[in-house]
Amino acid sequence: MPLGTLDRSPPPFFKQGASALSKLMVFSSLSVLLMVADGRFHWSQPLRTAVATAIAPVQWAVMQPIGLATYIRQHVTSLESALQREADAQRALAAQAQRGMQVEQLTLENTRLRELLDMRERTSAPAMAAQVLYDTADPYSRRVVIDRGLRHGVQAGSPVIDASGVLGQVTQVYPLLSEVTLLVDRRQAIPVLNARTGVRGVAYGLNQPNSEGMELRYTLSNADINLGDLLTTSGVDGVYPPGIAVARVTRVERRAESTFTRILCEPLAGMSGALHVLVLQPVSHEPRPETPAPSPAPSARRHP
Amino acid sequence: MIMRPGQQLLLPANPVFIWLSLLGALLANMLMNMGLWGRAAWTPDLLAVTLVFWCVHQPLRIGVGTAFCFGLAMDVHQAGLLGQHALAYSLLAFFAIAVHRRLLWFPVVTQAVHVLPLFLASTLVEVVVRLIHSGAFAGWSIMAAPVLEAALWPVMSALLLAPQRRAPDPDEDRPL
Repeated sequence: MPLGTLDRSPPPFFKQGASALSKLMVFSSLSVLLMVADGRFHWSQPLRTAVATAIAPVQWAVMQPIGLATYIRQHVTSLESALQREADAQRALAAQAQRGMQVEQLTLENTRLRELLDMRERTSAPAMAAQVLYDTADPYSRRVVIDRGLRHGVQAGSPVIDASGVLGQVTQVYPLLSEVTLLVDRRQAIPVLNARTGVRGVAYGLNQPNSEGMELRYTLSNADINLGDLLTTSGVDGVYPPGIAVARVTRVERRAESTFTRILCEPLAGMSGALHVLVLQPVSHEPRPETPAPSPAPSARRHP
Repeated sequence: MIMRPGQQLLLPANPVFIWLSLLGALLANMLMNMGLWGRAAWTPDLLAVTLVFWCVHQPLRIGVGTAFCFGLAMDVHQAGLLGQHALAYSLLAFFAIAVHRRLLWFPVVTQAVHVLPLFLASTLVEVVVRLIHSGAFAGWSIMAAPVLEAALWPVMSALLLAPQRRAPDPDEDRPL
């Protein structure tokens, strides 16, 4: 038998290192510590960034064949469907053109009225276009990864919208990528305004294994809310600019035994199919206006 | 060394191959997560299978510490709770080292039955951790993952042992 058949050096006799059990003790307590630091105190940011930087080349290598496959699939898509989509886009553009022109005029009118009323100017937040790279694989949460990060000026907490409404919020920023927590994640909440009645509320993500949507919690059972009501951002949170569409009410359950109504809504943004998104700057980062002079008129009586 | 009757005498394992196979498993996991099945809960964790395989076959080289580091990488990649995979993989590596002397006496299919409880336990640890942390549950389809991982054990064994099964003295008339 040739010598190469067996391991030439025998296993060490004395220097065997720590036993597997003691290693398990150390590493499992380290994991528990990390979990507590991450879940409760949010201390693990530097470690997360370091590991993310370390695995970034591997992720990049994996993204290449996926990107190539997507590119080929888009090329093979037939000419007809491309033409169809172009016709649809033209129609949508024509439909929006009229509204667009009206908006110009209305914005001007709005500005003048606001000047007359001496109110704060409504500013439009600067936006940055980004592309969704992939859904994160964690089956317990709903997040996507976009291709803009710290290097491009993304801040944690920035709202992210797509063509039809609010998609979510940036929760983790890496040097070149960012993680966006979607509105349907169960730990995500967004202040909303019922566009029909003007009633404010807070919508929470509702992420169950088989269904996902949002729930408008803490609405009294005698509140005026109907199926199909549009919910928009209210702008009172200092994060989302006001007036962006969020969701539509799909189900209202009035229960006799509860003070609150159970209201389910469906987000308007494409939660699983969004590809191109806009990252807005949080409203609170915009320059604050000068403190207005106290108005001489007596303030309106507040409702209790 | 006492060996099972009929067991083939293997070449020594190449450390470079061990680490490359672990990296490849991480890559395959990312490919499944990012491209093929997205965030489906039942996706088998190839990295876990590879880690258990090397902990059983080369316990002096691959152990709890390696498993912990690869677990951290998976946590950051999946954007889940940091430490969840690290804990599950550390437990997996410990139990793999605990059974490694006994396991190799069985034929490969019986080995798969023996490693099934290990994968089941690591999946349960993750489920319980997430239930405690945020009360989230991924659905019962997650229980398919350990079964699939155990079913992949014979395939991974054949693949990962192939370099050690080459002839010790290469013969031109008999290339394999």
